[in-house]
Amino acid sequence: MPLLEVTNLSKDFSGLKVLFGIDLKLEQGERHAIIGPNGAGKSTLFNVITGKYAPSHGKITFKRHDITGLSPHKIARLGLARSFQVTNIFRAMTAFDNVRNAVLSRNGKRHSIFPTLGGMDSIAEQTEQILNLIGLLDRKDELAGELAHGHQRALEIGMTIAMDPELILLDEPTAGMSSTESRETVKLIEKVTEGKTLLIVEHDMDVVFSIATRITVIYYGRVLASGSPEAIRNDQQVKDAYLGEERE
Amino acid sequence: MRRLTLLHIVVAVAIAAVLLAAPRILTVVQVRMLTEIVYFSLFAVSFNLLFAYAGLLSFGHSAYFGLGAYVTAISLKHVPGMPFFAAILLGAIAGAVGGAIIGFFCVRRKGSYFALLTLAFNQFLWAIAWKWREITGGDDGIGGIVPKKPVDLGIFSVDFTQVGSKYYLTLFLVTICLALGWYLIRTPFGNTVKAVKGNEERASFLGYDVNRSKLLIFTLAAFFAGVSGSLFALFQDFVAPSAISLGMSTEVLFMAFLGGTGSFFGPILGAAIFVYFTDWISSITERWEFILGVLFIVLVLYFHQGFIGLVPAKLKSLFSLGNNR
Amino acid sequence: MEFAASTIIIQALHGLVYGMLLFLVASGMTLVFGMMDILNIAHAAFYMLGAYLGYTVLMATGNFWLALIVAPVGVALLGALVERFFLRKVHKYGHAFELLITFGVFFVITEAVKWIWGDFPRPVEVPAALAGSVHLLGSQYPVYRFFILIISFAVLAGLLYVFLKTRIGIRIRAAVSDAQMVDALGVNVPRLFLGVFSGGSALAGLAGVVAGPFLSTYPGMGLDMLVDMFVVVVVGGFGSLPGAFVASLMIGELQSFGILFIPRLALVFQFLLMAVVLIIRPAGLFGEKV
Repeated sequence: MPLLEVTNLSKDFSGLKVLFGIDLKLEQGERHAIIGPNGAGKSTLFNVITGKYAPSHGKITFKRHDITGLSPHKIARLGLARSFQVTNIFRAMTAFDNVRNAVLSRNGKRHSIFPTLGGMDSIAEQTEQILNLIGLLDRKDELAGELAHGHQRALEIGMTIAMDPELILLDEPTAGMSSTESRETVKLIEKVTEGKTLLIVEHDMDVVFSIATRITVIYYGRVLASGSPEAIRNDQQVKDAYLGEERE
Repeated sequence: MRRLTLLHIVVAVAIAAVLLAAPRILTVVQVRMLTEIVYFSLFAVSFNLLFAYAGLLSFGHSAYFGLGAYVTAISLKHVPGMPFFAAILLGAIAGAVGGAIIGFFCVRRKGSYFALLTLAFNQFLWAIAWKWREITGGDDGIGGIVPKKPVDLGIFSVDFTQVGSKYYLTLFLVTICLALGWYLIRTPFGNTVKAVKGNEERASFLGYDVNRSKLLIFTLAAFFAGVSGSLFALFQDFVAPSAISLGMSTEVLFMAFLGGTGSFFGPILGAAIFVYFTDWISSITERWEFILGVLFIVLVLYFHQGFIGLVPAKLKSLFSLGNNR
Repeated sequence: MEFAASTIIIQALHGLVYGMLLFLVASGMTLVFGMMDILNIAHAAFYMLGAYLGYTVLMATGNFWLALIVAPVGVALLGALVERFFLRKVHKYGHAFELLITFGVFFVITEAVKWIWGDFPRPVEVPAALAGSVHLLGSQYPVYRFFILIISFAVLAGLLYVFLKTRIGIRIRAAVSDAQMVDALGVNVPRLFLGVFSGGSALAGLAGVVAGPFLSTYPGMGLDMLVDMFVVVVVGGFGSLPGAFVASLMIGELQSFGILFIPRLALVFQFLLMAVVLIIRPAGLFGEKV
């Protein structure tokens, strides 16, 4: 039984078709990358899987639960966490508070009224562990909105893994980064997602080939090919459609 | 976490002593004004729980204030043998239930739409208060609410027709509610409310049920508004549709912004300034509402901190008056 | 209770008149909302001010047609000032402060009107040319109400023409859907906003003058209109002009017949409609996803 199974998924926005019958399977422990040119529908696919949009057709199963059309918070609570392509953090809160928001949610302390936050030592401890992991412990009291871009991206990933999810979805984690920063981020991703199932959308092919154990290529809303990195690298169709031009 | 120092304790004790001794020091007129300030403080803080902590701007907050006032008044007036404190509790619950029902429709909407719906529902309830004469007395209102006989409290009995007793009752209940509010915003629940205000989308992808947390804070704010309205009805010994009108919703808005929406205590200062300011200015000009409106515009344009912004920074940080975090 | 067919028709006509007046006000607000994403609470005060300015011009000159021009122009100027000096200033603080400032302006104008014209109704006489009534199905129907219908439909036609046929209308529609793109195309967006805002204000002012002889001018007229206008927005769908049109007529008819059949529920009909719409179709009749 795959961890995540997407069957014949379509999405259109008031007439504009973006996804045409996507099929996707993720086994436990797999590190799966989705690639494709701009506008291929990668982000839309992410948004449909994680509940931001309801699909027009098709079915999504996660851990045997039918999550098709569920709202984002219900999907997140089942153990599926995501990051965002455009940094999406609590800008007016400190780095510590950002991560703690995720930690509180994971511990089911969303609406609890006893004790106060100040009295929750274990929550604070878990939060600091995550901050340490993403290298932001010494910046924990800085406002997230005032952190450098690279640190904000790390925080984005930190919040995602702080949910301790079974499946992690990362949407272009290296967006807007220099190649040095990208390498750092790859290291970070490898470190924090060890032993977890990962689904990642990425533009940077170096990042993709260094992380992924499986790759799916999406081209104009359809799956063009899916297979091991080796197979994808040698796929003529993929080369013609996409990889060739990207590698310039 | 800031720690309690001796200074905090001294200041708290001093404030408590002054508030407790007030009826012995002040004239009856002054005690009446102080009572108004105390119940309006709770009303203004409850408005600000929505505005500053949850990012929900309500133009119809008097709906719950008015529900509290009317339900307390009606239950004391029309239900034989109604226990005094049960009537207050009923008023508060009415505010909360009204808030939960109306909130259900409103919190799903963002920004302007939310504001518009709160105002429309407020006016809806006002129209009912106006029209349903058999129960609400229409524009004649309901008078003679407070029990004429002393209320038996077990150990001793209290005559709530007395200004001093009303003051102590108001002070007691408002202090409990404010302390509860102050506590709740420091719990994970309060954190959730702030997180949702900060970034709704991110919060929902972290597993937070955004609408539920908004509805909870809306209901809590409505509960506090209901307590405040109930105390208002008892203090005035009278309720009329003005208690549930847009005018009352405007007043609470002015109080919050006068004092400053940036902190928990700002609206309390605002309630005090509002009561004194309107008392003073209405004695020198009939056009005081116009002046109040102009002042409000100036505050919105230039002075978002409100009057609490005038408190020296050092003092503010000492008593964490500066911000909501 | 039984009513003659003629009573029903007269009542329907009456509802249509109020509905069209409501649309006249709501259209300006919807226009501003759709374009600038600002819910202008002061719009209802502009309507009220229009009515009182019209009253004053009428009293001073006795010329209703002059009032019909002067009042909207005066209100449009005020609207321009509000947009230029208040709204533009608070824009950077976000939505809440835009709402708060328009609310403050609503409050101040209402108080100013009470101050200048007194805290009591000022009945406005129907202009001589439009006075009198016509025979309609055996009863008398005031000519002035037909005039309201004519002017409202004329404005509706004018709006449709501007939007569908003129350059400026196309720019406005483009700005509604994508302000940044229009900016990129070299259109002066701030000036366009200023124009639309004062244009919307002028519509409110015009509606006020027209409403004067029909509903009389009174200090609560702004609030009454504000609430009905909001209900129109909820029922019709946020920012939808066709929605505002249909909802205005529905509310006009509902109030007209409601008072006839269940007078006890006067004042709350529009809210009941609003509640029903919120339950059945939360986005409003013509609204897209909210």
